[in-house]
Amino acid sequence: MIKIKVRKPDMVENIKLHLDALLTGVKEAVKPGTITIEYPRERRWLPDSFRGYILFTPENCISCFQCSFVCPANAILMKKSENNRYYPSIDYAKCIFCHFCVDSCPGSALRQTKIHDVVYIDLDEMFCPTENMINPPEIVREDEYTVEYLMDLDIILKRVKERDDLIPEVKPVEIIKEYSSCYEPDSCLACGICVSSCPNEAISITSLDGEKRLKIDADRCTGCGICVKECPVQILKLVKG
Amino acid sequence: MIMEAVYELLKAVSKEHFMENMVSIPLIQPVIDNLLNIPLVGYVVALILWKPMFALLIFPGLLTLMTVLLFIIWFERKLTARIQWRRGPLEILRWAGGIIQALADGLRYFFQEVIVHRDAHKPYFIQLPILIFIPVLLPLLFIPAGSIVGIKTPYALPVVVAIVSLIPVFIVAIGWASNSRFAYVGTIREAFMYFAYEIPFILSVVAMILVYGTADMTAIVEKQTIPGIILNPVAALVFFISTIMATSRLPFEIPEADQEIAFGPFVEYSGIMFGLVMTIAYEKMYILALLMSVLFLGGGNGFPIPLLGDLAPVIWMFLKTMAVMVALAFLRSIYARFRLDQALRLSWTTMLKISAVAVLIGAALNIAQVA
Repeated sequence: MIKIKVRKPDMVENIKLHLDALLTGVKEAVKPGTITIEYPRERRWLPDSFRGYILFTPENCISCFQCSFVCPANAILMKKSENNRYYPSIDYAKCIFCHFCVDSCPGSALRQTKIHDVVYIDLDEMFCPTENMINPPEIVREDEYTVEYLMDLDIILKRVKERDDLIPEVKPVEIIKEYSSCYEPDSCLACGICVSSCPNEAISITSLDGEKRLKIDADRCTGCGICVKECPVQILKLVKG
Repeated sequence: MIMEAVYELLKAVSKEHFMENMVSIPLIQPVIDNLLNIPLVGYVVALILWKPMFALLIFPGLLTLMTVLLFIIWFERKLTARIQWRRGPLEILRWAGGIIQALADGLRYFFQEVIVHRDAHKPYFIQLPILIFIPVLLPLLFIPAGSIVGIKTPYALPVVVAIVSLIPVFIVAIGWASNSRFAYVGTIREAFMYFAYEIPFILSVVAMILVYGTADMTAIVEKQTIPGIILNPVAALVFFISTIMATSRLPFEIPEADQEIAFGPFVEYSGIMFGLVMTIAYEKMYILALLMSVLFLGGGNGFPIPLLGDLAPVIWMFLKTMAVMVALAFLRSIYARFRLDQALRLSWTTMLKISAVAVLIGAALNIAQVA
């Protein structure tokens, strides 16, 4: 057993320590440092890459299911919409805001915002269907100041009288046009899984001389890669067009 | 015989009797004179400005007590928050920094249910928080502010000390009536602390009685051409530390210790009953701060303000009392809590020694006839 010796300050040192504590208290009472942000009236400055509420642009979506596949919390459900395409809907009761979906989206259809204070009445309402993801939620902005933490040796709060834009501009990504193609047609089983999996009906099976052949319409193919994933003999791949 | 008694009684409650001993405020004297001429209002004004009634109602009595209570609870929270880099109460009356927070809390207590749990001793549980106001408020009658005093007696100081010493007995009784584990622990701590601080406290008061050679508070204030804190700083130190212990402020917030035993003796109270018991410590703090300003800081002494007349000592005394209370509240933000054994060791050894030294200094000053 090791006994730790507690250093006992003598009387003079003791009084010195007490005075030191009192002086520190007085100093802080007169001129306090503060790290508190009065939240509804002030907002903390957030970087543009802040992982907040997720917005969705259906025009950019190629229904590739990547977001749904990558989601570690299983929060994204692909739902069939009226135009026969599959669009994501997010269950915020499950979402852990890792933004893997945003990062994995090839067409930047999902994008991040700085909105982090959305209120729901109950758990059912936290399921956010695709329609609600297109426009940002209604926000009552009470804030007048934006506060930034400057982490130097000491923490300094920098207050600027301006409103931070909660929905940052996302640079449009250059979409590389890809389409699916079969590189080993002889191995094709003609099972038809790719045909039924294609969200855009770009793949069809044609019969030529009693032999079934795969036909991929490059114009209709969005390059989502679902058929590549689904093919049981793995003879499909995405090629740059 | 009976007629004489009735006559005496009528004389005692007559307007003329009140007007003989009235608070004179030259600044608003014309207004008071006009008011006195109105039949019923004049009687009420004369009654309120009658010095004993003024002491009871305005200073150091009810009105000031309420104001101080509302202020100091807010101020303590605000100051502690400021020192600890927080904001403290803010949202209620925002432009004034949340100053009516204590009032709002009080109102909330009014509308909460008072739960009397099954194991409580019901009559005591409900009665004691109300009965405790007798020892809490009675000392205010004996404390003078200049010529304004409720009851003038040569034994004022012993009376006040004796009544103040009754408060912990009530708190122990409250803890007993609560009949729960936390209340039990808190009550035991309160009892231990009571014995620990009471002896140095009384000894420091005795030292000051020796210094001034009298226990009449008005005389004590008159004798303080040099404030008591300079005459006997040791006694002032002991009095201050035992005040911290008596009002269970940090670092001696041992009986209540809300993080450990959730307000100790008061753990079972809810609603307005909790509001009542929670303010006891603050009321005791107010009384002891008044006592400290009388004994050590010269009470109502200060340069006179001709326009305010009798109110000038009231203002000086109020400022001194508030200074003591602010100092007490300030300690909360910088000290951690002592353990019970540490506090007991401190009070039964160091404090007792220092208070004995204070009595010796008091005796020496008494022989030297300094004051």
